Amino acid sequence: MTMQMPPADPAIIARREQLAAGLRAIVGQEWVVSEESERAPYQCDGITAYMAMPLLVVLPASADEIRRVLLFCKENGVKIVPRGSGTSLSGGALPVLDGIILGTARLCNIVEVDPLERIARVQPGARNITVSEAASPHGLCYMPDPSSQIISTIGGNVAENAGGVHCLKYGVTANHILGLEAVLMNGDILRLGGDYLGAAEGGLDLIGVLTGSEGLLAVITEITVRLVPKPEMARVLSMSFSSVDAACHCVGAIIGSGIIPAGLEFMDRKVLDAVAPLIQETFDSNTAALLICELDGSKAEVDALVQAVTAIANKEGAIEVRASNSDAERERIWRSRKLAFAAIGKLCRDYYCTDGTIPRNRLPDVLAKMAEFSKKYGLNYANCFHAGDGNLHPIIMYDSRIPGDLEKAEEFGADVLRTCVDVGGVLSGEHGIGVEKRDLMPHQFSAIDLEQQQTLRCAFDPTELLNPGKMFPTPCRCAEFGRMHVHNGQLRFPDVPRF
Amino acid sequence: MSETAQKTAATAMRPTKPEDVASVVKDAILNGHKLDIRGNGTRTGYGNPVKADATLELGGLDQIEFYEPEELVIRLGPGVTMQTLRATIAARGQYLPFEPPFWTGLYGTDPARATIGGTMASALSGPRRLFTGAARDYILGIQGVNGQGEHFVAGGRTVKNVTGYDVSKLMIGSFGTIAALTSLTLKLWPAPPREQTLLFDATDLDADLVRTAEILRAPIAVSGAVRLETPQGWQLAFRIEGMQEGVAEHVAELTRRIDRPVAATLDDKDSAAFWTTIRELEPLSAAPDELIWRINLPVSQARGFIDVARQRGGLSRCFTDWGGAEIFCTTKPDTATDDAVSRFRALAKACGGHATLIRAPDALRRSQGAFPPASDAVAALSTRVRAAFDPMGLFSPGRMTVA
Repeated sequence: MTMQMPPADPAIIARREQLAAGLRAIVGQEWVVSEESERAPYQCDGITAYMAMPLLVVLPASADEIRRVLLFCKENGVKIVPRGSGTSLSGGALPVLDGIILGTARLCNIVEVDPLERIARVQPGARNITVSEAASPHGLCYMPDPSSQIISTIGGNVAENAGGVHCLKYGVTANHILGLEAVLMNGDILRLGGDYLGAAEGGLDLIGVLTGSEGLLAVITEITVRLVPKPEMARVLSMSFSSVDAACHCVGAIIGSGIIPAGLEFMDRKVLDAVAPLIQETFDSNTAALLICELDGSKAEVDALVQAVTAIANKEGAIEVRASNSDAERERIWRSRKLAFAAIGKLCRDYYCTDGTIPRNRLPDVLAKMAEFSKKYGLNYANCFHAGDGNLHPIIMYDSRIPGDLEKAEEFGADVLRTCVDVGGVLSGEHGIGVEKRDLMPHQFSAIDLEQQQTLRCAFDPTELLNPGKMFPTPCRCAEFGRMHVHNGQLRFPDVPRF
Repeated sequence: MSETAQKTAATAMRPTKPEDVASVVKDAILNGHKLDIRGNGTRTGYGNPVKADATLELGGLDQIEFYEPEELVIRLGPGVTMQTLRATIAARGQYLPFEPPFWTGLYGTDPARATIGGTMASALSGPRRLFTGAARDYILGIQGVNGQGEHFVAGGRTVKNVTGYDVSKLMIGSFGTIAALTSLTLKLWPAPPREQTLLFDATDLDADLVRTAEILRAPIAVSGAVRLETPQGWQLAFRIEGMQEGVAEHVAELTRRIDRPVAATLDDKDSAAFWTTIRELEPLSAAPDELIWRINLPVSQARGFIDVARQRGGLSRCFTDWGGAEIFCTTKPDTATDDAVSRFRALAKACGGHATLIRAPDALRRSQGAFPPASDAVAALSTRVRAAFDPMGLFSPGRMTVA
């Protein structure tokens, strides 16, 4: 599979060994990986369909080393692809042939947990789950919980503005960042916000811009996150419906009633059939869709919520509603959701999962459209997604051995994403644009909207060396934007080349 | 009253349609005019005075484009007043969780004219920010006109959205220096049906803040935590909100953990009235010629700062919000000098925090800036970011920066 990327500069590739020597002088001999066999694991991220061998892999151990690596790359015109654990589902960490991978694996410490301020200060390579583990003795946790949380890093989570099951009630990564330290391509070290609530008040919200910027603006070297009390208890409801529409309406009815569950997930029949053998459970043959609803808080509160949601589900025509009465039962209900993607993986050789997000009340329309696309492309699909936030994750099944199958799967996914935008939604809820959805950006944004974002990029990285070929379908042409100040009035770019 | 609240630039424009905003900006480009962008101008006393050739008032863009309560989303013009917005969503049991203050009482302006656009552009968040997040956490999308007169869109209307840079957040707290907003899409939230506030007699400030932090670490839904001087002396106040069943349990847990007698309990309406006074900084009883400050700093430094600010900074009255991470205070009239302001800022900085001038004479805000000075790297980047949207520097020049 080829993804059009900015053309690689053969002169840079020819200088590989020389560049490696220069970088080794900064990070130390063993922390620049140049053997092809050792670079191979970095060829792709969570989207294995896209691969490219990086020029070198550089593993710095401090913000200062990162700063010197960036300056070296700037001087030598070398592109940089920042990478945490490489779990991106949008190709955000896809290498370029004439660029280095800048890995944060050695910057993996939790620098400080401060229970008084309820914050944790962490290095970008710290894994998501380790933050909650470190906070746990204080009764606190780090709420954003992408399903990759045992492996994905906080740096990667910030770069992608990661979501997760609990972000319906508790918000996404962007809502939990109090401070960032980041290095710009010009070597400036930015210290934004700090180690307490409100540290970032009083200036432009540059933390907001960096969060979700997909590694195109700066390299993040330290992060202060907000910790919150672990919920006292949680119960989970499993609610089955005889139609997808009824399940979708129930989602709207729950939220419309003023209840915000901690999580509200949807699984269709295909997912249930795939999961059933793995969890040794059978689902009623009339069940077309299942909702999993987590409710948390204090005991009386949760019990009241369970009652209220049960009543809503019954009114919306649920066939069966089961509520967990212990943590073990809660885990069991969640198991089906957590195993869903692995279970689908057993049904097909390959699958492609995408990430559009829509207003909740359009769920029935968009799910109906998916059935049409499935017929159009002759590919099977299944649905398992964050219903509460209208964040779809259609799982499109294909076989990479069949010529043209992957392309069909991609077209299917693109049709779904375009549909999401057309009903008032967006291309990506939590996976990011990366290379995967890059060429669909003009479907959501006008040329002016995209140019505006690109000029913003130029304010951070006028060299365009940071993570090139991601997010935007065209180069940013920062040099031209720079000249814009001189030539007021001639601001349109009718002939922008595409990658 | 702030001087800027009374005077307007030579020309005032008040478009009522988004396309007219673009026309105003294009005219300004042609005429080389700088624009002072505002909603209805009720909070121009917050931030630095702007020197502009014309005023662009967005208060005329006062339409609600759509409100879908079951989707928890509203899209509206920046000129919709806070009162209209709050009444509209309250009718459907919803609210803006970040509890934006009006602060019109501080500036002697009309609260009925305060707009959502001004609120978001000024990043105004109240006591509940500690529990539910700030103004920035409730913006989903924006539309606006950039400094080249181009209409652009960012974000969307869904809660989860990582499509492109989060330009919407950049607008929150940009005080009209980035774009002229023509629409905002906000995330709303179900309003808790019940609230209760518990007051306890204070002891030592440090001990009180440590105890407050313990409570804020517990699974208790505390949505307000202040320490303030009342007619009954210094007191700690905690607000608990939620459904009936939850509030009772959380209140029981709170009283168990704080381990001191309840001095007073305020239910629902009384509780709401109490937090309105906090939100509007009424405990400061600021005299007209006193400066009003907001200090953001680590909780661990609050005690040290207040002590030193009393001794050497001219601090007059204060209260702590956000469990101690935010201090509101007044300083005496004789602190309205460049020296005193920069000395006060240095005290905050020495405590690891920073100080914002919420109210001060125009000349002082012009020379010292209302906002804490940024590092060289952040200041340079902020300038480049503004230029990316407004390359000719037409929008609210000097509002956030000191020349």
